[in-house]
Amino acid sequence: MAEILVLDDVLDAAVLIEKILAKKGHKVHTFTEEEEALAFAGSAAVELAVLDIKLQKMSGVQVLARLKEIHPEMHAIMLTGFPTVETAREAISLGADEYCVKPIDRQELEDKVERALKGKNRKGALNI
Amino acid sequence: MGQLKQGSGDTQDRRYLEVFRQVTRMISMVRDPQQVMENIVHNLPELMEIDACTIRLLDQATGTFVLGAAAGLSPEYLARPDVDARETMDMVASGQPVATIDVAESAHLPFREAALREGVQSVLTLPIAFQDRVIGIMRLLTRSKRAFTEQEISFSLVLAEQAGIAISNGGMLKQLERQVNFLGEVQVISRLLGSTLDLDVVLQTIVERLSAGMRAQGCTIRLLTPQTNRLELVASVGLSREYLQRGEVVDEKNTIRALQGEPVAISNVLEDDRVIYKNHMEREGIKSLLAVPIKAKDEVIGIIRILAREHRSFSRAEINFSMAVAEVGGAAIANARTYRKITLLFNHIEEQEVFLANILDCISHQLLVIDRNRRVAMANRAFLQIRGKKESEVLGMDYGRLHHSENCWDYGHLDQVLSTGQMATVVREVVEEDGPHWYERTATPMINEAGETEFVIEIIRDLTAQRRLEQESIERSKLEGIIEMAGAVAHEISSPLFAALGSAQLLEVDRHGQGLEEIGMIIRNLKAISKLTAKMAEMTGYSSRAYVGGRRIVSL
Repeated sequence: MAEILVLDDVLDAAVLIEKILAKKGHKVHTFTEEEEALAFAGSAAVELAVLDIKLQKMSGVQVLARLKEIHPEMHAIMLTGFPTVETAREAISLGADEYCVKPIDRQELEDKVERALKGKNRKGALNI
Repeated sequence: MGQLKQGSGDTQDRRYLEVFRQVTRMISMVRDPQQVMENIVHNLPELMEIDACTIRLLDQATGTFVLGAAAGLSPEYLARPDVDARETMDMVASGQPVATIDVAESAHLPFREAALREGVQSVLTLPIAFQDRVIGIMRLLTRSKRAFTEQEISFSLVLAEQAGIAISNGGMLKQLERQVNFLGEVQVISRLLGSTLDLDVVLQTIVERLSAGMRAQGCTIRLLTPQTNRLELVASVGLSREYLQRGEVVDEKNTIRALQGEPVAISNVLEDDRVIYKNHMEREGIKSLLAVPIKAKDEVIGIIRILAREHRSFSRAEINFSMAVAEVGGAAIANARTYRKITLLFNHIEEQEVFLANILDCISHQLLVIDRNRRVAMANRAFLQIRGKKESEVLGMDYGRLHHSENCWDYGHLDQVLSTGQMATVVREVVEEDGPHWYERTATPMINEAGETEFVIEIIRDLTAQRRLEQESIERSKLEGIIEMAGAVAHEISSPLFAALGSAQLLEVDRHGQGLEEIGMIIRNLKAISKLTAKMAEMTGYSSRAYVGGRRIVSL
């Protein structure tokens, strides 16, 4: 079981991820607001963050940078509906484990989370 | 030596008659006045039983009597500065004979000393008159003291008068001959000057011909520079560089007088205050000069100076000849100067024309100049190259005929400019082998002083490249818009799609039996939509395909 933070400006997407990962026994904390998610991370343990790239006020990459400052060992999976080479390269350089294009398949999401938590994933891999 | 041989009255008369006959015969044999004088001074001593004889002629310019011929006397005596006492000379100049029986009693010391050194004791000075005007003096000298009788004096006066007639006639004849020669020379010079418009040739011809015609040592031409009003040496002959570079002559009195339009003759430059550079002239061997003005249209434009090695009393004929040559030369100089100006102007215009043509040829746009009759007056290189025509083919061609192959053109803009005097611009599309081309024609009027359009300048710009660039830019903007739109759609749909697909998949896991087939259909279609959004997100270009009602849509 892991403490997982999910941030997506579309609430349904965040809820879906929570449902999928909760079924796998993880404790999932969902957010649609960046500041709320960062505030939570500042006061609680976070092992894995699943972040949408396109948020309301900040970008997912910026949030990842802030979270990494708080939890340097934290794993991260980036999600986007419109992948670009620039955001992918930036996310990987900040320590993201995965860079996935939405809509991601349920099974694929479960597998990536599993891999990220086990630390078996290859750092810097892109999955565009 | 005593008095003229005395005898009875008849004998004396016969003697005088014989002398007179011989003198008359002698002077009638020659026409040259110098020869007449030489004959008289060499023969008279024997005929008149005297020791020496001199003839001096009046120099009108200086009022002095210049030695013409002498016999029986030394050069030293003849070279003395004063001929005789002032009173003697004045009396003779007034037409009276003066007899000096004993020069030892002469009050004029220089003459007395010179005469005594020469051994002269008595002198009879006689005026040589012609037409009641004294033109010279004749002096009969003896080395023994003697008195001159009234008869001797009267007879000598007759001889002197006879000599005057001969000298004058000879002089006049000689003058006439010289005038005829001068006239011929003026004609030759006129012909030479008329045959050229080269200023340097004109100037050199004048100095060379005038110097030769005047039998002078050298000749110079100085012309006034209009800007500075200074005299500039422009031609010379027979003179050294050192002499020519002696300095300004504009302040010399002879120059000033000549510039006022009057000729100036100086027989002895070394003793004349109208000359400044006496030392230079002495070194150059110049003794006399004649300065004459060069006139063009009654205006003095310079001076000619004729320089002689000997003391010369320039005759009226010589002065007239020099003036005539200066006048002819003045006209020729003015013509040559005008021609030179015109040539320079023409060259300048030609250079400007070439310069302008070069500029026009450097313009990459086609350029035409059309006259009021719609004929081509000029075409630049770009126009000729694009049309594949030579300038000679195009010039003078009717504007309409020039463009007859471009039947899509109308020429209203040209007519508009010609009628209104206002600039007009048209842009037309012409279909050529490689596709459509766009040309902009700008017609600009050239207005003359009367305010009429004299020419029209037409600049033809090929806008094809610009138009194609604009179209490409539009296409690029369109593509960017579509790609952005596709990206936006992909992004906005992805999260709801993810939520819907994931939820359907969760349902599929949880549900067993009823509704499972429908959930499977939902998942399949949501995945199909996912593939489309993935394609939209990856779009970098597009192609379109036909849709209903003639519309086209983007192919994904």
